[in-house]
Amino acid sequence: MTAAPRPAASLPLGGVDLSCRFGPLTLPHPVMTASGCFAYGQKFAPFMDLRQLAGLSTKGISPRPRPGNPLPRICETAAGMLNSIGLENVGAEAFLSEKLPFLADLGVSVWVNFFGEDADEYVQCARMLDAGHQRGIDVLEMNISCPNIKKGGIEFGTVPEVAHALTKRCVEATRIPIVVKLSPNAADLPAMAQAVADAGAMGVSLINTITGMAIDVRTRRPRLATTYGGLSGAAIKPIALRMIHQVHRAVPELPICGMGGVGSGEDALELLMAGASCVQVGTANFARPGGALEIRDELRALMAELGIARVAEVIGCVEPLPPEPAWAPAPPDAEASR
Amino acid sequence: MATSPSQFRARVVDNRPLHGGYFVLTLQGPMAPRPLDGVIPGQFVMLRGDWGRDLINPRAFSVLDASDDGRFSVLLKAYGRGTTRLCHAPEDEMLTVTGPLGRGTFDAPTVDGPTQLLVAGGVGLPPLHLQARRAAAAGLASRVELLYGGRDADDLVLLSDLDAWGIAVHLATEDGSRGDRGFVTVPLSRRIERAQARGEAVCILSCGPTPMLRAVRALGLAQGVPTALCLEEEMACGFGVCLGCAVPVYGPKPYAYCCTDGPVFDAREVRWS
Repeated sequence: MTAAPRPAASLPLGGVDLSCRFGPLTLPHPVMTASGCFAYGQKFAPFMDLRQLAGLSTKGISPRPRPGNPLPRICETAAGMLNSIGLENVGAEAFLSEKLPFLADLGVSVWVNFFGEDADEYVQCARMLDAGHQRGIDVLEMNISCPNIKKGGIEFGTVPEVAHALTKRCVEATRIPIVVKLSPNAADLPAMAQAVADAGAMGVSLINTITGMAIDVRTRRPRLATTYGGLSGAAIKPIALRMIHQVHRAVPELPICGMGGVGSGEDALELLMAGASCVQVGTANFARPGGALEIRDELRALMAELGIARVAEVIGCVEPLPPEPAWAPAPPDAEASR
Repeated sequence: MATSPSQFRARVVDNRPLHGGYFVLTLQGPMAPRPLDGVIPGQFVMLRGDWGRDLINPRAFSVLDASDDGRFSVLLKAYGRGTTRLCHAPEDEMLTVTGPLGRGTFDAPTVDGPTQLLVAGGVGLPPLHLQARRAAAAGLASRVELLYGGRDADDLVLLSDLDAWGIAVHLATEDGSRGDRGFVTVPLSRRIERAQARGEAVCILSCGPTPMLRAVRALGLAQGVPTALCLEEEMACGFGVCLGCAVPVYGPKPYAYCCTDGPVFDAREVRWS
């Protein structure tokens, strides 16, 4: 049995190196912003210096523009919120011409989240977005997990063989590395991660929102027009941690971008310790549009306090608690316990 | 146009209970620059206290007033957990404010433009109250009239301000305890008829509960009166990112956004049954 790691002496803030790696990418720090919670970036310009982000993941892009779902689309729940926006987006073509130039100029890691309504559309979208290769797009974040589209979307996110085949086709369709955003609604997440890694994914993002529901008891109607929606926010962080930990244990060489309820530097550090190589801030951007950079600063301060000099030291560092002594009907005698 | 939005901290300097469960919450924001300088009636702020992890999102409130000393106010009524907390916010509590938000706003009245019929209900009063305040300050009190409906007399607040500014007021209550018995559409119909009988140009600017806005929209469209509606939809961010506050509209796209396209919309544009 190994002894629990003892807290190291604190470091000065300048003694903390936040730079980190995600596969072939080098990031200045591990805090990005998450898809669906950051639009295409510009809207945050009044609130933060976007250039200080490690990176951002765009709103999910489909081959053609999508208008989104009927109202109501969101409702707040205990320590979280449900959404059913419906993957509203400008479409790949408009994204490349109207949104990408702004993002490319920021000098941060640009991850373009994408999806299709069927396998062919996924491949078509990856092919269209390939135009952004070496023109600003670092990663295509393949969303096989959105609970808010109907056609066939469920199997992409829950059946390893289907996810493998889809990932393989998309990897072959583009020169841009693919990170697969897995569904927390899958039964066997490590199997899903292994399947997409085997298909050539550079890493995985987890977790997406968890399917949920809320009811207005006065009207006896669901609070979302689509009845079910995706739960996000602090409420899902324990689930994110468990899933990141499981996937990291099962496929340790596969980089994980962690998200799910990150609202503080401590949350970010928890996700890193569970096995994430970097994190994305999602729902917290709504209430705190400059929050991602505050979280980065909190992470730095917390690492300094805990004597952690480099991000790499803590990725997946969490260890099981030591076992308790075996039960016996009588206490061991004084000699043996000494 | 007001300045681009920012997020800032503001201190509760007053949280004045009115009757009917309403409160006027007054906040002291920063002085240099004053973030809400130039705020236009219809623009709003997102407010959130240091609520920890439970209530995660801020709440949207139309600006009731913003003054040169960096103070601004909103009208509150307790509906859910967030508004209840704000109604109980004590003096000196610090809140996080994002604003000013909203691009679609009410047009200012003009000397020779149509008479603006400001149709308000419930917590929808603030943008119309601010519109009336601005009109009076510009010497145009006679160009606006307030038509204001509530459940009962207790549900009608801040009326003394309108009197002080010399704004004509038409009231309606569902129980008949003040003004016309019925909805605000009762005095509104009568006022439109009067305008039509004497060839007076009028337009409607309205804010209130959605059922009221639906009725006002129907009346405005039926009578051919230009109608602007200040809408309220659930929103998480207020600046066009969460896409929660979609408003069904006619036009090239099926939805617009309450926060960045509105909150004020032309009634003809809104796709309501």
